[in-house]
Amino acid sequence: METLDIPLVNLAVAFLLLLIPVGISIKYGLKLIKPLFVSIVRMTIQLALIGVFLKYLFQWNNAFVNIGWLLVMIVVAVFSSVKSSSIKVSSIFLPAFISFSVATLTVVFFLNVFVVPVNSVFDARYLIVLGGMLLGNSLRGNIVGISTFYKRLKMDSNHYLYVLSLGATETEALMPYLRESVQLALKPTLASMATMGIVTLPGMMTGVILGGASPEVAIKYQIIIMIGIVTSTIASVVLTIVLTKRVCIDRYGVLRSDVFRKETPSRRKKL
Amino acid sequence: MLSEQEGTMSGTSAVIEFAGVNLSFSGKKVIDDLSLVINSGDKVVISGKSGCGKSSLLSLVLGFVKPDSGKVVFGGVAVDGKTAWNVRREIALIDQDVSLGSGSVESFLEFVSDLKVNAHLDFSPHKLMKFFHLQGILHKNLKDLSGGERQRLAIVVSVLLNRKVFFLDEVTSSLDANLKKKVADYFLKRDDWTCVIVSHDPVWLESPSVRVFDFEEKVWKH
Repeated sequence: METLDIPLVNLAVAFLLLLIPVGISIKYGLKLIKPLFVSIVRMTIQLALIGVFLKYLFQWNNAFVNIGWLLVMIVVAVFSSVKSSSIKVSSIFLPAFISFSVATLTVVFFLNVFVVPVNSVFDARYLIVLGGMLLGNSLRGNIVGISTFYKRLKMDSNHYLYVLSLGATETEALMPYLRESVQLALKPTLASMATMGIVTLPGMMTGVILGGASPEVAIKYQIIIMIGIVTSTIASVVLTIVLTKRVCIDRYGVLRSDVFRKETPSRRKKL
Repeated sequence: MLSEQEGTMSGTSAVIEFAGVNLSFSGKKVIDDLSLVINSGDKVVISGKSGCGKSSLLSLVLGFVKPDSGKVVFGGVAVDGKTAWNVRREIALIDQDVSLGSGSVESFLEFVSDLKVNAHLDFSPHKLMKFFHLQGILHKNLKDLSGGERQRLAIVVSVLLNRKVFFLDEVTSSLDANLKKKVADYFLKRDDWTCVIVSHDPVWLESPSVRVFDFEEKVWKH
């Protein structure tokens, strides 16, 4: 079963739908026309470019190029997660990159080797598409997890130091923060898994069904991708925290103030 | 342990020693060339205006802040990134914000007694809690305790840790006169305990058993 192609003219017709939000915006003075226009243009251009790019990527289907592109996606994902935390990107980029790569590649290769009967584990269709799904969906979890960990640790520094004074090891003192961050990071994924199929009909399934596969195939892909997302999210959040704390916490067990982005006045002087 | 001046003569020894310590926070000098020895069994009150950095003396010993120059010694060992972990296990700290965290009192006590370092302790708080008028708070949330209750709970925990050196940072500020006296007597009567007390409270300052160190003038007052 082939997917119906959409002729370019028809695609242009789809844009006519936008007259509705534009009309609403004018009527109610929502001032949304400019941001709407900017976002629509950006999306269209980016997708057009990536469409062409993926077309060639799938045609070449070269293992090295595929891995390379996956790494580029990981770099971008790391940037967006680290950027939204209060830590300087330069301080933790490398450890975060390592943990994202380990988490994503492990899951993707596991799925490609043991689950999906692909001919080559480096097949662009599966490597890049599955990798992209994992990265995209674990991104939010990673953002929440990493920024929560350092935010809480900083806000709670008096209590953290008190726990150190009780004689706690670094692991004992950090564990409550790690636990809280990972739980918070996983919350949306767990919630959407629990209502999946009933409340949410996920994009992956929609895509596979539109792509011509039967719903039975679609749900199988959805199941493996959700398992992959949960696994890679937990793994990357925990690994990132474990690897970045070597940079962000000094030998005394104290959070270093110079790894934070904006110079805030030292909060440590009060014991 | 390092011995120091009169310390050797009376058979006591230096527990804490600051030697030419300088410390500043974001360019502001907090401690300027401080040298100070605290001997085993001493009850020392650090006095000075609030916000002048008295607490940072305690932080230095615990390795929470590092001196710009000079040396901080505890039990004969210079405090550094490696030794600080052991130093913390010798000291019972009550910080001035009484940062016990959140959750129930019971889970907090459990957390403290579950720490590896405290595994050998007999951690039964009931008698002490009764002594400090803390009955019936076990199932309360830490955030719902009054300031005075939190201070007394922190005191109970500090005693249960079974350590010999106490850092008491404004621990009586929220207590009524009777309890202040009770707490001060409790710590001051123990000859084997070394107490470093940061406080403005006359209950400490006017006690005959303490030595008072003026943090700003850097002199012993009595």
